[in-house]
Amino acid sequence: METVLHTDKLTKTFGRLCAVNRLDLEVNRGQVFGMLGPNGSGKTTTLGMLMGVINPTAGNFTWFGKPATHHTRKKIGAVLEHPIFYPYLSGQKNLELNALIKGADPAHIAKVLDLVELRQRKDDKYKTYSLGMKQRLAIASALVGDPVILILDEPTNGLDPMGIAEIREIIKRIAADGKTIILASHLLDEVQKVCTHFAILRKGSLVHTGPVEEVGKGEEVVEVMAYHDDLSHCLHEFRGALSVKSENGKFLVRLREGFHSVDLNKFLFEKGIVATHIVTQKKSLEKQFLEILQEAASHRQPT
Amino acid sequence: MFHLLKIDLKKLTGYRTFWVVCGLYFVTLAFTTASGMEFLKWLAGKGAEFGQDLNINRIPLYHFPDVWQNLVYISGFFKVVLAIMVVISVTNEFTYRTARQNIIDGLSRRQFLFSKILTNGLLSLMSVAMVFFIGLVTGFIYTPEIAVSDIFTDLEFFPAYLLEVFAFLSYALMLGVLVQRSGLTIILLLLSHMIEAIVKVNIPESAGFLKDFFPMQAISNLVALPFARYAFQEIQDFVAISAVVIALGWAFLFNYFSYLKLTRADI
Ligand SMILES: Nc1ncnc2c1ncn2[C@@H]1O[C@H](COP(=O)(O)OP(=O)(O)O)[C@@H](O)[C@H]1O
Ligand SMILES: [Mg+2]
Repeated sequence: METVLHTDKLTKTFGRLCAVNRLDLEVNRGQVFGMLGPNGSGKTTTLGMLMGVINPTAGNFTWFGKPATHHTRKKIGAVLEHPIFYPYLSGQKNLELNALIKGADPAHIAKVLDLVELRQRKDDKYKTYSLGMKQRLAIASALVGDPVILILDEPTNGLDPMGIAEIREIIKRIAADGKTIILASHLLDEVQKVCTHFAILRKGSLVHTGPVEEVGKGEEVVEVMAYHDDLSHCLHEFRGALSVKSENGKFLVRLREGFHSVDLNKFLFEKGIVATHIVTQKKSLEKQFLEILQEAASHRQPT
Repeated sequence: MFHLLKIDLKKLTGYRTFWVVCGLYFVTLAFTTASGMEFLKWLAGKGAEFGQDLNINRIPLYHFPDVWQNLVYISGFFKVVLAIMVVISVTNEFTYRTARQNIIDGLSRRQFLFSKILTNGLLSLMSVAMVFFIGLVTGFIYTPEIAVSDIFTDLEFFPAYLLEVFAFLSYALMLGVLVQRSGLTIILLLLSHMIEAIVKVNIPESAGFLKDFFPMQAISNLVALPFARYAFQEIQDFVAISAVVIALGWAFLFNYFSYLKLTRADI
């Protein structure tokens, strides 16, 4: 798979504060890559370095395998932190300016305005836009010139649920087009809903990186119901069971590594028990996120 | 190069303040420089009230070639209006954070600065063209006997004036890049002459030659005060090479300081 972005011990310090600490990241073509971390964990600073507005204190990064120049940035559509536009210019004029800087075909503007549903308001001054419209214009501006990569930093920040849903819809549509997207967010559920891969940052350090789908892996918890007088006892006999708990009339079975709900089902069937209900509880990213952060924190304590 | 100029002009031409300030500049510049004879008439009228006789026809304010230095000298006072516009244009880029977005979008930091310098050059050229045009028109109106050789005398004041305006706009740009807040920058800009004067007063007599090296002084030295000649005094009716060299040096340094700041700092 083609590597789009590679960072090597990327570091930024502001005085005594280490905002980004020896960060190693790799993003491949076609991924929707989430940078997840609480506020102040260094997401924007990292993206700022990648986009040439913040000078790294140490470390390197490459885009498309090469050190970055301003020509590289023309192929990347990015909005960091807040939408940034000339308030006195219309949305259309602002995008024309983006196109001029990127050397993009201005004819493309109408298309991106349609995508974010701003065509009707394109000739109004930017300062008259609502927050949701500003965020959408920001996405439009990032898409001007049909970039290979899209970088979005907290694209739903401050929006109402409707606005959030709209933005997510747009992101999914863009991702379906096969674009590589880097999405920074402090919202787990946002990353979970739109990303294929993710990295977790904490106080500027990378604490975890991997595919989103793998997050559910590890030990499984299976909900079981069956008409049987001594189900609890039977479940305890199962070799793959770590523990069995009863909850709301269901039994929750924690499985050992390597065991899955299928194995449990087969075991019950062989015992002559037919389960009326058997469901794997996916471990939510939220639990995982908190676990990972806790783990990282406890690792750090001794030092 | 035109591409960069186009980018900056696109930002400015959609900005009403730009049209208001530039309009104000060119209108007051035209009005003031063209109304010298009216001013003299008024002065003569006042003089007559007090029994003084002032023969305004003895003062060839607009005669070729006097008109060139006279107008260029007076026009020099108005450059501060253009400079304020430059300050607003560049500090806006920092307060709106659009400089940052420009660079994210694919402009290099050097190109960003260069687009601003090009606009400064264009504004300076337009100012020169304006003053030249007014000089030409008023010269033809007021000069009693026009000799072609007189029209072409002393035209060196125009390159000098171009340098004067450009150097000052470069100074304004540099202040804007360094300070980044419009209000504070404009105050500093307006106080520059005074601050420099205070420093100069404290220079010992023996080092007096240093005064010509101060930036504001260097910029004023390009075109000397011409009007003393109407009181039968010697004036400097040429552009001193030393003044040009020093002003060129400052224009270069101002832009170089902007360059250093823009390329080194986080934006
Ligand atoms: N220009 C700056 N000067 C000083 N500290 C900064 C600056 N920019 C960011 N920081 C600090 O760096 C840390 C990381 O910030 P940021 O990258 O914005 O985090 P995030 O985007 O993950 O919320 C924060 O503690 C923030 O206060
Ligand atoms: Mg941030």
